[in-house]
Amino acid sequence: MIESLFVLSPTGKVIIEKHWHELIPRRVVDFFNDQVSKAMAEGEDVTREDVLPIIASPKYQLINVYRDGLTYLSPVTKEVDPMMVFEFLHRIPDIMQEYFGQVSETVIKENFVTVYQLLEEMMDDGFPLTTEPNSLKEIVPAPNILNKVITTMGATTSVSTRKMPHGMSNLPWRKAGVKYNSNEIFFDIVEEIDAIVDSTGKAVSCEAHGTIQTNSRLSGMPDLTLSFVNPRLVDDCSFHQSVRFNKWESDKVLSFVPPDGHFRLMSYRVNLPSQQNLPIQVKPSINVGANGAKFDITVSLRNTDGKPVENVVLTLPLHKSTTTLTAQCNVGHSEAAANAGYNIGVEFLINSHSLSGLKVDVLKLFNESYKPYKGVRTMTKAGRYQVRA
Amino acid sequence: MDIFSKPKFFTNNTKGENAELLVELNSEYRDRRKDAVKRVIANMTVGKDVSGLFPQVVKNMQTEDLEMKKLVYLYLMNYAKSNPDLVILAVNTFVKDTDHVNPLIRALAIRTMGCIRVDKILDHLCEPLRKCLQDDNPYVRKTAALCVAKLWDLDQERAIDNGFVTTLQDLVSDSTPMVVANAVIALAEMQESSVNKDVFVVNVAIMNKMLAALNECNEWGQIAILTSLAEYQPLDSKEAESVCERVVPRLQHANGSVVLSAIRVLMIFLRYLRNDEFTNGLIKKMSPPLVSLLASAPEVQYVSLRNINLILQKRPDILQNDVRVFFCKYNDPPYVKREKLEIIIRLCNDKNVDQILSELKEYASEVDVDFVRRAIRAIGRCAIIIEEASERCVNVLLDLINTKINYVVQEAIIVIKDIFRKYPQRYEAIIPTLCQNLDSLDEPEAKGSLIWIVGEYAERIENADELIENFLETFLEENSQVQLQLLTATVKLFLKKPSQSQEIVHRVLQTATQEIDNPDTRDRAYVYWRLLSTDPQAAKAVVLSEKPPISVDSSADKLSPGLLDELINNISTLASVYHKPASTFMGNKAFSADAVRKAAVADARDEEQIMGEDTVTSPTAPAASAPKNVMADLLDLDFGSSEPVSTPVMSPPTSNSKSGPNYSADLFDMSSDMSSGGSDAFGGMGGMSGMSGVGGLNIGFQQSQSQSQNQNTATSGSSNAFGDLAGFGGFGQQPSAATASQQTQQQKPTQSSTVNDLLDLF
Repeated sequence: MIESLFVLSPTGKVIIEKHWHELIPRRVVDFFNDQVSKAMAEGEDVTREDVLPIIASPKYQLINVYRDGLTYLSPVTKEVDPMMVFEFLHRIPDIMQEYFGQVSETVIKENFVTVYQLLEEMMDDGFPLTTEPNSLKEIVPAPNILNKVITTMGATTSVSTRKMPHGMSNLPWRKAGVKYNSNEIFFDIVEEIDAIVDSTGKAVSCEAHGTIQTNSRLSGMPDLTLSFVNPRLVDDCSFHQSVRFNKWESDKVLSFVPPDGHFRLMSYRVNLPSQQNLPIQVKPSINVGANGAKFDITVSLRNTDGKPVENVVLTLPLHKSTTTLTAQCNVGHSEAAANAGYNIGVEFLINSHSLSGLKVDVLKLFNESYKPYKGVRTMTKAGRYQVRA
Repeated sequence: MDIFSKPKFFTNNTKGENAELLVELNSEYRDRRKDAVKRVIANMTVGKDVSGLFPQVVKNMQTEDLEMKKLVYLYLMNYAKSNPDLVILAVNTFVKDTDHVNPLIRALAIRTMGCIRVDKILDHLCEPLRKCLQDDNPYVRKTAALCVAKLWDLDQERAIDNGFVTTLQDLVSDSTPMVVANAVIALAEMQESSVNKDVFVVNVAIMNKMLAALNECNEWGQIAILTSLAEYQPLDSKEAESVCERVVPRLQHANGSVVLSAIRVLMIFLRYLRNDEFTNGLIKKMSPPLVSLLASAPEVQYVSLRNINLILQKRPDILQNDVRVFFCKYNDPPYVKREKLEIIIRLCNDKNVDQILSELKEYASEVDVDFVRRAIRAIGRCAIIIEEASERCVNVLLDLINTKINYVVQEAIIVIKDIFRKYPQRYEAIIPTLCQNLDSLDEPEAKGSLIWIVGEYAERIENADELIENFLETFLEENSQVQLQLLTATVKLFLKKPSQSQEIVHRVLQTATQEIDNPDTRDRAYVYWRLLSTDPQAAKAVVLSEKPPISVDSSADKLSPGLLDELINNISTLASVYHKPASTFMGNKAFSADAVRKAAVADARDEEQIMGEDTVTSPTAPAASAPKNVMADLLDLDFGSSEPVSTPVMSPPTSNSKSGPNYSADLFDMSSDMSSGGSDAFGGMGGMSGMSGVGGLNIGFQQSQSQSQNQNTATSGSSNAFGDLAGFGGFGQQPSAATASQQTQQQKPTQSSTVNDLLDLF
């Protein structure tokens, strides 16, 4: 049971609190703040992110998530599934992001009433209730101006007025009577590459985490089947509630009645072999002397099927004791700001490319007679991608 | 609209904002009233007292505007406690709303009524609740189901008397999955606090109902159903198989909690499976989702890793080919890195050891000192687990020693000592390299390790006496751990090379017995002295006896089978994160010390042969000074300390000394002290052994028995003492115990003195 929630500002002040069960006194926040500052005082390099997500207090277990400067703290008095608490706590900023476009102390304060209503809807007596953004938006309207923006962007357009909440149609995720003038559905396949590359360019570990974000604007009750050219590539995957799991097991196709609007159809993971051709090669050469060090980092393109690599960012954290720093780039620009263990963080983005090679084959529509417009976009970008020097 | 702005301005100046809101709340325009309610709520959230507006706000409850209604409800829930009398004003509207044509409003009304935790409202809750539980609309029924749990929480009798519990049990058979899920949530919650534990017993019928609903309900409902499924005891292997088949698809869920809850069901049901083929298939299916969890947020990774650790102890065949995914990224939070490292070691086998070694070497060059030390210890564990790789490990360690980075050198020496213990006589060639670093050692454990090596191999080290002499210069200033090692090493040296070291040994024993107050060191010196003076042959047999090598099956980081099974039953709970039964850290503190002991005693039953009668009964004297049955607590030490060691931060709070977890923290402290306080009369490995735990106990005890048989001359009393000492040497010695115990020690210096007293009595 998730009894209470405190959202704390970066300085540890309570921005909002919500008690779904008994009231938990604010003292607990003071204890929590003490523990956090104690943990951070343990070492120079200890940051807020390094503080344990579960802290014991004499009376409570303080389960907390730190995101974008804000702490989402849930003290519990009874044994609980911590994974569930974390999943739930992460949903809160996710939903706020959906509603307000950004999450910060100011944004929460400006939207107190909406946030309160959301928290009330998301939980009943300590058990998560409605957390699907689509369903929430029907129950709690987003703030007005944004509502307009969203409308113009097309998220909640000419859908007929709904009286029934989601839980009440035959398919809990889809409302009845959706109608669009032009029917369309878009799939965004985004792959993030997590990799550890050693100094010789060989991948120590490498995997692609893909998601298929879908924006469905289809009338009625469309029944879709999406198939891939090479579904066996996928090592592990998880689906939106709407996907019929048995069909995937037997035929490796995604068969589903989509929810209306934006949703994540599928997440998948592909283990890439260590001899995988990575899209870019980063070759560091580091010479450390008594009075300084010289880092030469060569970045070269490899294997992108001729697609351009964009937004390449290299981060080389240096030790805190670094006093002066100059950086030069042949291409692009550099920013010098003064942490060791020479690891280079790499970011990049390649449009219309899937590193794992997963490709959509066909989308078939049943149960409705119209012909929808279908769009698929793919994109590969660096996730947690590091090169060791 | 303009007409209204004037009085508003006016009232604002005279009577404050509440007066202004009062006017607004009574406005004839709905929009203005709604805005006013919103402002009331906004004021409420920032802590301003708007309870004075209660009647006016409640008046606005009767509206068709759902948003408005909700706002008023929010207000009501907040102020009901402080204005219980006023709540009655709202009751009529509530009851009316539960009859509303719109199911949303019916549901909202019953939900809110349940949240107003005021006795007075309970009288009015039962009738509407009864209606809502039978409502045609599933949305209303599912909301009502949870409301029963709310009522139960406040007044169990009323819930039973009104038949709500029975109705709720019937809802498990509802046709709508969401209703089933909520009924399960409510019943499970009630079961926990029920006296007779008969509210929700999962039988075949209920299990089938839950399985039917599992696929269709939302993620949170799935978690609840999976959690309750885990309670079910299948009749036979066939039934267990069919349940597993239904649960497996849940592994493909995006919500980590659903995945882990499904894993728990599978891990429990695996026990009932008799079909090997099916079992293997199942195990294969469990790996990928566990790996996928590691791509989530660090908190989720942390819980996953702690659970994977348990799962691997039970089923080492899971994740065999996936060690790569546990490799650390430099910007992983330290708590994630530590857990990944533990798993890497668990997955270490002769096929991947090279890959792992090069990875560990990489970690040893990072900046985070604590992580570097753990990485070096991990290299040592690789060497001990995989014999064929030990030479490569030693080479890596030598490379590390050559970096001359102080803490790296010290940690490497500690690790090498363990490798020497596991593979005696094999790597003596590296001793000179180790001795070169003698001067840079300033940590007691590293110093002690090198001294032990010098003592153990005294006959092969030409200048062993010089080395010992060198250390002896600061004998009196040393930490007791080092003193004990020096003492033992000197005696070994004397027994091996009597001609060179007679003078040294005499001097050391004299100093130790006369000038040292630490009873550990002093008493050991007496024992040695008496042994040497009565019968040097016996002394040789005792001190230079062959030590059993460290067991491959490094029991220090393994939980006892009983505890492990209990924790497997609790995968994806806080217990699985702490690797301790929930009773030790949660809830009713008054009982928890008791619970700890109970758990320990239960565990001890598993280890009965290991402990033996002797150890259990002997320390009756300290029992008088300690609060309760110390022996049981001491037993507990072992199990209690085995997990916080790997995650020192999680050691129970130390703020007030009366509470339960703290009690175990005290015990811990004792354990750490005992381990550092040595007690290794037989060759001085106890105090700093890298591996031990229960295994250590075992070694110690058996050894003492064999010893007492060997030496006829020793009095029976002293041999008994050895038994105890050796036995306790086994307590709390873990590879990473040093860091954990040092922390606890520093926090509570007072306790260690009592510990010493206790030891004295032993």
